[in-house]
Amino acid sequence: MPYFRGVCNFCGTGCGHLLRVEGNRVRGVYPLSGHPLSRGRLCVRGWHIHELLQTEDRISQPLIKDGSSFKPVSYEEALDYVVERVKKLPGRQVAVLGSPRSSNEENYLLGKFARAILKTNNLSLSSDAGQEESARVLLEGCGWPAMTGTLAELRQADFILVVGGDLTKQNPIIASEIHHAHRAGTFLATISPRKTQMARLSQLHLRPKPGTIFYVLQGLGRVLVEEKAIDDDYLSTFTANSQTFLEELKQIEVEKIVELTGISREQMTELARKLKESNSACAFYPTGVQSLDRRTMAALFNLFLLAGKIGRRGSGVNPVTGISNLLGSYDLGLSPVFLPGYASVEDELAWERLENFWQTKLDRWSGKNVDTCLSEGEDIKALFVVDHDEEIIRHVNRIRQLDLIVYFGAYENPFASLAQVIFPRTSYVEEDGTYTNSERRVQLVLKRIEPPAGVRPLWKTLTNLARALGHDWNYDSVENIMSEISQLVPYYRSLTYEKLKARLGLKWPADDLHPEGTDCLLVEEASRRFRFVQVNGQEKKLAGEPEVQKDFPFKLVVGRSNYFWHQNSVMKRTFIPKREYNALLLLYPRGFVEISKEDASRLGLREKQVVRIVAESAEVRLAARISGDILPGMLYIPYFIDEMIPEFLHRQVADLEKNEEFFLPVRLEKVV
Amino acid sequence: MYWLTKEQLPLLVQKLAEEYKIFGPRHDRVSGEVIFDHLPDLSELDLQAAIPYNPPKFILFPHYEEILKYRYQPETKKVRIEQLNLLEPKALIGLRSCDLTGLLCLDRFFLDQEYVDEFYLAHRKKLFIVSNTCIRPFPQCFCVCTDSGPAAREGFDLDLTFTGRDYLVEAGSKKGQALVEELNLVEADSESLNLKKQIIDDSVSSFDRFALENKAWISRATNRLTTGFIKPEVWEYIGNQCFECGACSFVCPTCSCFNIEDANLASGETSRLRTWDSCSFEGYTKMAGDHNPRKPVEDRRNKRFFCKLSYSQSKKYLRPGCVGCGRCARVCPGDIGLPNVVTYIRREITGESGE
Repeated sequence: MPYFRGVCNFCGTGCGHLLRVEGNRVRGVYPLSGHPLSRGRLCVRGWHIHELLQTEDRISQPLIKDGSSFKPVSYEEALDYVVERVKKLPGRQVAVLGSPRSSNEENYLLGKFARAILKTNNLSLSSDAGQEESARVLLEGCGWPAMTGTLAELRQADFILVVGGDLTKQNPIIASEIHHAHRAGTFLATISPRKTQMARLSQLHLRPKPGTIFYVLQGLGRVLVEEKAIDDDYLSTFTANSQTFLEELKQIEVEKIVELTGISREQMTELARKLKESNSACAFYPTGVQSLDRRTMAALFNLFLLAGKIGRRGSGVNPVTGISNLLGSYDLGLSPVFLPGYASVEDELAWERLENFWQTKLDRWSGKNVDTCLSEGEDIKALFVVDHDEEIIRHVNRIRQLDLIVYFGAYENPFASLAQVIFPRTSYVEEDGTYTNSERRVQLVLKRIEPPAGVRPLWKTLTNLARALGHDWNYDSVENIMSEISQLVPYYRSLTYEKLKARLGLKWPADDLHPEGTDCLLVEEASRRFRFVQVNGQEKKLAGEPEVQKDFPFKLVVGRSNYFWHQNSVMKRTFIPKREYNALLLLYPRGFVEISKEDASRLGLREKQVVRIVAESAEVRLAARISGDILPGMLYIPYFIDEMIPEFLHRQVADLEKNEEFFLPVRLEKVV
Repeated sequence: MYWLTKEQLPLLVQKLAEEYKIFGPRHDRVSGEVIFDHLPDLSELDLQAAIPYNPPKFILFPHYEEILKYRYQPETKKVRIEQLNLLEPKALIGLRSCDLTGLLCLDRFFLDQEYVDEFYLAHRKKLFIVSNTCIRPFPQCFCVCTDSGPAAREGFDLDLTFTGRDYLVEAGSKKGQALVEELNLVEADSESLNLKKQIIDDSVSSFDRFALENKAWISRATNRLTTGFIKPEVWEYIGNQCFECGACSFVCPTCSCFNIEDANLASGETSRLRTWDSCSFEGYTKMAGDHNPRKPVEDRRNKRFFCKLSYSQSKKYLRPGCVGCGRCARVCPGDIGLPNVVTYIRREITGESGE
């Protein structure tokens, strides 16, 4: 029963672990002390990954719908079924939803399958809130679409700012690194309306009213200028549009921001001064499970650029991905707006390059993400879904109207019952593959156990499908696919399995200039000057309609990370994490709404009293949960799908879940 | 006491391998980590390796273990229970004294109380233990504060002490004695006995130079925990840092709490599983009807350290529940491993400032 080295597959931290394999079973897990990032720690999820890998709720053979149930078929029959139906469909009628838990190789191939074979540009990922916007903001600002700093050097920063999210729950080991830095003397500040654990541990917690973090960050920029805390040399040497930005900053009145956000000038000044005094400063914000809106990400980037903290060792603006391979999946173009390597779909040359590389004709029309495809219009007729994570199920009525749904999954999933064809796939320890964590670290996970008899990995099924559709795909291993990726994607240029086998990951860009990977973005090595990211007038407007606020005085926000360990479809297959999750569910079987102590006492509410939350278009009854963690005037609902997600949130869910800064104006009524 | 030359060591291991499955410390080449692991390749055994990151607890008390299998037959309304055969002779080679002490604590929990745990017993029965004296402490060690090292005093079949080239061997059981005789080891003279004592004394006195990560005032903390004079604010402070991951329990050589689950298998059988559990989880003490005696995280933390260090607990184990291996300090995302908690308690006693 030896221990085998590997990488955890839950969140975007990518902690190193050891799996204990006994026979063909994973019987235990242990943290890897030598891992440069996790340094021998795991979170509660990571400590129970073997429970997930034990589950017998596997999809173990191809299935085709037969009336109201499914009949087992051979791979060949299932392939024929799909081929026959797909051949007739124009690409525009097909949409492909990938999983951010799949490996780089499998997601690259899924993207290629969509674009080159199905001829569709409707392809996206589940649980990718904010990732696209984050990549766009960073590309516009510094030409580098991910974390500009590095997690492995986080402890050396002397200023850390955490904006939004609940990092301690979402990416606990990154939070632990921040915690460690803080205990060793790093100044730690949090900007978040909720009093999260990170906020409790911070020296300074700015608690703006919901939806106003953007203004706080603008105000901080203005205060930095007032404090003469900007480095003119840095701005004039390394940035392209600082004059325009500084002009815009002049328009900002700090007093107005104080009024709007509830954050005092003193607090902003304190934060700005600490930022100024720091030699190295890092900012963190979440993407994936929960994120910020574009303007807030842009304002955060601009603030750090203004302070001269972009492109410096030990500093950086760092988006933290909620799911294991979310970043890698974007790197390889599983997105309607990026081709592999973040080439824009508006770049004609990039299309031509891709056509030459893939040796096939590609359609240029602009695709949509799957969520949009399903919520708008009637164009879509077929859907390909990999390891559904309970996200698009809200479109269940629309999905039922589709002609063809093909599902690829390792585990049983309620979504699969909607499909006509189901293909099993291997779990992540049953096939080799690379995964790219939040800090751009590409790590190789080797196959440790045999899959259930006859189950093929996704890349093999896709290859078979491609061949059945008349394309000459001849991959015979995942390593093959990685060598293709390294030829196409500049960031992955010098990655090989041989190299990755001998290391605990390499951080992209790994190219001719940096064959051993790159720790962080350095201003001296940047391909062009940095730019302050534009925020347009529309975006600058205050969210929520002022006139409805009289009738709907509360701001309702939702959170997904606090009591909800990512996709329930995953955590439900464990024992201990499931028990912990259920502990809360048993307390509030029909869900709850958090209300501040102040509001509760003003309204005379007691714990668990049932209240009615009324929004403009719908209402819901929930138990009140009185909390010291939220501000007066704010309500908070943890977003539990099925069990606790109230029906009425479904209408706003796309906005609510994507963007933490979004709130719903509601009123609260006592149920008599 | 006997001499085992460096050249004889592989013979000893080989001999044991004839009868036992061999476990011991090995290096992971890429990460550099020392892992206490099953060693199908005996040459991987490295007795000079640092203290392994994992205690050998998993060998007797696995992270996840099937302890029973049953099938309900609806036709006959009968349940057929399948007994699992866990008996497999195992030799643990190169056990550090802290880990051996941890094992003895587990023995007292699983075997020495009213109820004898048959699954633990099955693993424990045919065990051969070769302990290895720490001739120099590692950075995280504080076994001298918990009376569990740097050398083993009991519980081993053979105890090895490296003298620079060869090993001094002490037999602690009939099994051990038999093996020593079978290998024809040379008996050591009384001078060698002094040599061992000297090596241990040197190790103890080098803690100030090498074991710099943790300082633990165990006896003072024990006193304070037992009398319950620790202010609630101290526990609140500690609770605020807790990430509720359970790691402290999982890596602790003496933690023995477990959870039982019945999992339905595709074959129609049901598998009864025993898995590690931790008092840091809210669900651990949750009772029917929404009652939880230890709901806030600080109460759960309080309980853990009470369990490790209080006098009443120590009476049960005949020693503190902490063996001074320092693993909980390294594995804790919130930096509240036992040594830090003891530090916070000490600060409260002495009135020292936080820094």
